[in-house]
Amino acid sequence: MMRFGKLGIMVLVLALMTALVVGCGTADQGDKDAAKDKAEEFKVGFIYIGAPGDAGWTYAHDQGRIYLEEKIPEVKTMTLEYVPEGGDAERSIEQLAQEGCKVIIANSFGYGDPILEVAKRYPDITFLHCSGLKTDTNVSTYFGRIYQARYLSGIVAGSMTKNNKIGYAAAYPIPEVVRGINAFTLGVRSVNPDATVKVVWALTWVDAAKEKAAAESLIDAKCDVLAQHADTPAVQQAAEEAGILSIGYNSDMSKFAPNANLTSPVWNWGPYYVRAIQAVMDGTWKSEEYWGGVEDGIVDLAPISDKVPANVKQLVADKKADIIDGKWDVFTGPVKDQSGAVKVPEAQKMTDAEMLSFEWFVEGVEGTIPK
Amino acid sequence: MYKVRMVRREHNSMWVEVIVPIMSIILAVAFGWLFLSWSGHDAAATYMRMLNGAIGSKYNLSETVVKAIPLMLAGLAVSLAFRMKLWNIGGEGQLYMGAFAASGIALACGDMSAWLLLPLMLLAGFAAGAIWGGIPGVLRAYWQVNETITTLMLNYVAIFWVSYLVFGPWKDPASMGFPLSARFSLNAYLPVLGTTRVHLGLIIAIIIAVLFYIILNYTRWGYEIRVSGESQEAARYAGINVTRNIILVMLISGGIAGVTGMIEVSGITHRLQQGISPGYGYTGIIVAWLARLNPFAIILVAFLFGALLVGGFGIQTMGISYSIVLILQGAVLFFLLAGEFFRKYRIVLTKGD
Amino acid sequence: MKREPLIEMNNISKSFPGVLANHNISFRVYPGEIHALLGENGAGKSTLMSILAGLYRPDSGQIKVRGRQVQFRSPRYALESGIGMIYQHFRLVNNFTVAENIVLGAKRRGIINRQEGMEGKVQELSERFGLGVDPAARISNLSLGEQQRVEILKMLYRGCDVLIMDEPTTVLTPREVQDLFKVLRFMADEGRAVVLITHKLHEVMEIADYVTVLRKGEVAGSDRIENLHESDLTHMMVAREIEYGQVNRNTAPGPAVLEIKGLQVRGDLGYLAVKDATLDIRSGEIVSIAGVAGNGQRELVEALAGLRTPAKGSIRMKGRDITDYDIRKRLELGLNMVPEDRLGMGLVPNISVMDNSILRSYYRPEFSRGPFLNYSRIRKYARSLVENYNIYLSDINYPVNFLSGGNLQKLLLGRELDKRPQVIIASYPVRGLDVAAAEAVFQLLLRERDKGTAILLVLEDLDDIFRLSDRVAVMYDGEIRAVLDADTADLNTIGALMLGAAPTGA
Repeated sequence: MMRFGKLGIMVLVLALMTALVVGCGTADQGDKDAAKDKAEEFKVGFIYIGAPGDAGWTYAHDQGRIYLEEKIPEVKTMTLEYVPEGGDAERSIEQLAQEGCKVIIANSFGYGDPILEVAKRYPDITFLHCSGLKTDTNVSTYFGRIYQARYLSGIVAGSMTKNNKIGYAAAYPIPEVVRGINAFTLGVRSVNPDATVKVVWALTWVDAAKEKAAAESLIDAKCDVLAQHADTPAVQQAAEEAGILSIGYNSDMSKFAPNANLTSPVWNWGPYYVRAIQAVMDGTWKSEEYWGGVEDGIVDLAPISDKVPANVKQLVADKKADIIDGKWDVFTGPVKDQSGAVKVPEAQKMTDAEMLSFEWFVEGVEGTIPK
Repeated sequence: MYKVRMVRREHNSMWVEVIVPIMSIILAVAFGWLFLSWSGHDAAATYMRMLNGAIGSKYNLSETVVKAIPLMLAGLAVSLAFRMKLWNIGGEGQLYMGAFAASGIALACGDMSAWLLLPLMLLAGFAAGAIWGGIPGVLRAYWQVNETITTLMLNYVAIFWVSYLVFGPWKDPASMGFPLSARFSLNAYLPVLGTTRVHLGLIIAIIIAVLFYIILNYTRWGYEIRVSGESQEAARYAGINVTRNIILVMLISGGIAGVTGMIEVSGITHRLQQGISPGYGYTGIIVAWLARLNPFAIILVAFLFGALLVGGFGIQTMGISYSIVLILQGAVLFFLLAGEFFRKYRIVLTKGD
Repeated sequence: MKREPLIEMNNISKSFPGVLANHNISFRVYPGEIHALLGENGAGKSTLMSILAGLYRPDSGQIKVRGRQVQFRSPRYALESGIGMIYQHFRLVNNFTVAENIVLGAKRRGIINRQEGMEGKVQELSERFGLGVDPAARISNLSLGEQQRVEILKMLYRGCDVLIMDEPTTVLTPREVQDLFKVLRFMADEGRAVVLITHKLHEVMEIADYVTVLRKGEVAGSDRIENLHESDLTHMMVAREIEYGQVNRNTAPGPAVLEIKGLQVRGDLGYLAVKDATLDIRSGEIVSIAGVAGNGQRELVEALAGLRTPAKGSIRMKGRDITDYDIRKRLELGLNMVPEDRLGMGLVPNISVMDNSILRSYYRPEFSRGPFLNYSRIRKYARSLVENYNIYLSDINYPVNFLSGGNLQKLLLGRELDKRPQVIIASYPVRGLDVAAAEAVFQLLLRERDKGTAILLVLEDLDDIFRLSDRVAVMYDGEIRAVLDADTADLNTIGALMLGAAPTGA
């Protein structure tokens, strides 16, 4: 029996090989023609951890990509979705390099090693690594101070809660997420010192079912405003169903929960992409560790729901103006940790390095960071 | 009135064995073609790109092999258990445990010479996978606990265990809190072929395939496995110690899955992290079955599978979304598996009421 | 008053490849009747009842239920007509409660199964028929007898008027048999009908109102129980012309080689399948076990071969106690067994003739080279087997599945005989073989006997038993009821013993 089985497979391979020989010729031809036609094109490749359809993280990046194509007409983009962070990432980045991308943008921290690996082989290509750690002469990292927008959304949440219990469905216990929770909590308690923020770990970046389960456990705990560090609108939908209020994330999530959603801290990558790619095209680009805030527009707050009183909206606008003017930032002392100990003294600001390795919760957070 | 009946084929002609898989592929491509045309894509160019992406250049070919190596090993691992009709669907968990143990050695003994470190990692990976496969083996052998369920459950345990490690005790202090272990020292890297990422795992996989072939076909123990797999009753009648063999086979099956984890961390990621396997343990099951458990066919099918995955993934840059890629890949798999049915049964039209 | 039959099967014929299982059978069941369907193995009882229960469709003939002609496409259709069958192996979900099992698969009324209502209904039915089943009990906690009552309850719940039971008393204790009969009688008195497939005469005499006897796929007789005597039934079942005397019997066997004493063996389901077996088998004789299948033969043989641990009693071979020996140790002593399940236990499907030739000796030094098998020796050995035992095949590298039944059996028997055994135990060695192949197998066995081997056969055909055996041991209900000399034994006596008649000092 096995004999025949092997034979079948052999024939199959032969068939594939034949197709390949025929196929390669034509494919190469096609590529060359295409290349001739569009010599002026400036190709930019995107490596996505998810898909644009998720309304979350990758959606926000894809909005940036579309914005980029609109603003700089010579730019032609190509994307690879759902690129796993393991062994497949290097091949995917390499493919974009081989297909002639002059700039390659990757939107998850786990692509660090493969980016540096490919970057070594392609010194003429510029790599932009979102939320990355390491740079090289042709590799920049970039991120935004979403915590500022989260603080502002915290003001909204703190003003709207009735029972002073706010829930927060969070992805993973890493500094980025912890920072967001802390900023949000500080925002909440700036207007409502009695409110607490209860954290539940969903332990996923993108999984509507788990995120919804996390939201439901918060609803069971009687939280009346839910916030999220999660990619899908599941938390918004859970809040909508339960008839409570919610704060979104990544993009304006009000369309998923028109009654519940108050606002969302949102990413606005487009302007950054336009600036960076323009710099590469002009030859002025330099490797950097970019971490912009609301002043650059890379992070912002989605339009605030009409349910929120005008005075709260005004308060948010004032705080935002303070941040933009550089008068004040979120983690300005005094900041106390959960035990009440002062971690950031009066009038002192946390440094970027401190913020990037946040491993403790501020006062008012209910929950623990698993070690 | 005609009735349609399925009749089991008793003896397959060569013709059936050859024509069925070819027809399956042709049908899958035809289906994909229609689908692509319907969704407004250039089907011909898409399939050409797929082939090109898989084996069109030295680099692409090498990457297909890189993708195929874990599939080969995972396929070989589960195939041994399947030979004895033990449904080890825990390849994924055994892989993760192997990756965990190998990483532990790599992180602890980074200064050791590669000549010592790599074998030690291999051994640790094997041992950890073996334990993870052996537990369901013992439960099955002594208490008739269904191994399908236990192996599946242990997958989750292993995956969460690795998550725990990279979020907790093994988190790289330099990673700013991101869930990654520290990078291994260069001594813990598997040697690669030239400038490609094709690593020693390929040789390991081929050696294991050859060993499997020899053991199964030419040794007393292989004979016992073949007999036990075909009929436990016959094995008992032959005086074969079925209990011992169940445990042994699950140990080795798990061990090889553990080696798969070892070569992935040592050959590719060079650190322990979440998602080191995008389901190799499960894909290995499909590979093993399509290869009808023949070790050499597993190597070949794994390669073809790698080509399908790598070539398929790449067509996204033509503006084809990942969900369409999945449909195209799924179609090939679906038609191949459906072909398996027609290989075993033929359709008979009979006149009757 | 002429009553209308509940079930009327007219001129039913059904054949399977090579076998005419039912030939022109007509069968009637009236309301209020317990109808026993009697016959040897292979007489066609199960086929006929499977047709009635909708499992098979007859090749020709018609079925009427309450005078209306019906065609059952599946058991579901039969159930809807009120016909339910309870098989020997119960179809219950172990982890479910009694009530859940009963409602499972039953026609649903409305979308939601209301647990309370369902348990109430089950309780009520159980009480009405005196079944004493607790609807909330889990199946896994019930005895086999209780499980059987759950099956009955299930059928009642689904509104069965005709209950077919296949050998229902095999798994029951005598107490439970009495309880079962009470329930069945109650059902009959209510105007339902019961068909009992059985081979136990005394049960038939005790409970049945009407008897139909099948023999070789045809109706051998059918009458009210009052008009029949036990001996009539035996005669109807086994009657044939026995051809004596083709075999010269061995009148002077040697010493006892295998001694079985007070053996008790449990069956797969845990009940005592062998209750009391005491038997000697002497060198140079063939002892046959006569009995209707399912009376403990299988378990006895497996216990002798070392595949099943006896619960009690002892097995001695040439004076040595081998009760605790495993199968390989017994094999090394020269105790060989040819199992009933030829392809599956005796031979391994899907592997080659060559590999099968060493199934029970692959571990021996002559076939090994270190950890490897010595295939040149094995090939030679397989060829010699093929030659010595006249096995017809094209290639020893082909899987055994390609062999015919006769060649399979010759290969299997040859492999075991080739080991120069002291004892051969063979179960149904000619089942399913054509005349020529069966003859070849018989000749092999006789030749082996003449060499002085002690042979124990389990046979189903009385013709074969008389042709081949020197002595006949009759097994009934897990006991060896009598051991008779084949020369002096009388067919009707053996038939009666097989069906449970008390031995009369033979």
